[in-house]
Amino acid sequence: MGNEIACQSCDLLVNVAATKHGESASCPRCGCFLTRCYDDTTRRVLAYSSAGLMFLVFASSYSFLSLSKSGVESNITLLQTPAALWSYGMPEVGALVAAFIIVIPATVLAMMAALCILINQGRYHSWLVPLAKGIFLGQQWSMVEVFIIAVIVAMVKIAAMATVVIGISFWAYAAFTVCFTLAVSSLDRYQCWERIEALRAQ
Amino acid sequence: MCLKMAPADVHQCPRCGSAMHLRKSDSIQRTLALLITACLLYIPANLYPVMYTDSLGSAEGTTIMGGVVLLINLGSAPVALVIFIFSVMVPSAKLMAMFYLVWSVQQQSSLDLRKRSTLYRITEFVGKWSMVDIFVVTILVALVQLGGILMIKPGIAALLFAGVVIITMIAAENFDSRLIWDNMEEKNSAN
Repeated sequence: MGNEIACQSCDLLVNVAATKHGESASCPRCGCFLTRCYDDTTRRVLAYSSAGLMFLVFASSYSFLSLSKSGVESNITLLQTPAALWSYGMPEVGALVAAFIIVIPATVLAMMAALCILINQGRYHSWLVPLAKGIFLGQQWSMVEVFIIAVIVAMVKIAAMATVVIGISFWAYAAFTVCFTLAVSSLDRYQCWERIEALRAQ
Repeated sequence: MCLKMAPADVHQCPRCGSAMHLRKSDSIQRTLALLITACLLYIPANLYPVMYTDSLGSAEGTTIMGGVVLLINLGSAPVALVIFIFSVMVPSAKLMAMFYLVWSVQQQSSLDLRKRSTLYRITEFVGKWSMVDIFVVTILVALVQLGGILMIKPGIAALLFAGVVIITMIAAENFDSRLIWDNMEEKNSAN
């Protein structure tokens, strides 16, 4: 029973014991992705998530975009972006945007790094379960890659009206997006929980 | 939650401690309720402006569709297409797809099971991409503040549209795709 997964999409029981390093398994009945196996998951995820967090620090400390027209200039940082909505009387939207593009992704990355450090220590810790739950819940609600597309669209929209200059923070945020995506796709839900249970059983 | 399998009479997961159900509880009712809410919000979200462009004292509101038309007039058709797909086609197609899935489960249909499963996974995956337009408005509002020359202010539809996107995401989350397959298994065991 230990090696079987009930497919999340159609509830078919699938045995995934034969999945080796670098291979992935999907459901034979409905085609839904089941699991991907890496032997060095924790090292990969730790590397990507710590790199991602560093890029996010860079991304929030310098100019993100700047705009100029007839001698007047306006400059924004990453954190000022959602804050502007707040000052226009839309605190709800501002808070949502801040959560989706900064707060949730940063929290997920920090939790991933913490989880990997704890797993690497090789013994069970009572934080492992809440950390893993938080990670898999937060993943669905982070929209970093959507934000990158939105920045590009916004630049095209205003390019006709004024001159836009991309700041160094934008590139840092793009690198953060890459690290975030790699970290999320490297941490497999099934393998992660199996690992936690193996540690608990010791 | 953690993909652990446990006997059906256990109500709390032995691995992660979450409450356990064989199927998500009241899946169809919750999904339908959220879908109807999203539909109602969707109407004003398209009628009211998402943002106001204030250029040299004359303010002008743009709706979501208006923004697409504006982009085509500016000569950036690819970007207009991106916005059209994510803010017009995806939300409406998603609402229709979810209504269809709920309806087909209610009808106990056992046709195209695999296709319907794929349809559900696509709707689930594509959901958050509709936020693109909200993020664009956010960036524009923050960036375009050039005093009297050019200002952009957010409109009420930004809030409404964000509501539509989030509510449809929660609706997709609440729908239990295993219900699609349950009908087939019931019919097989009846034969």
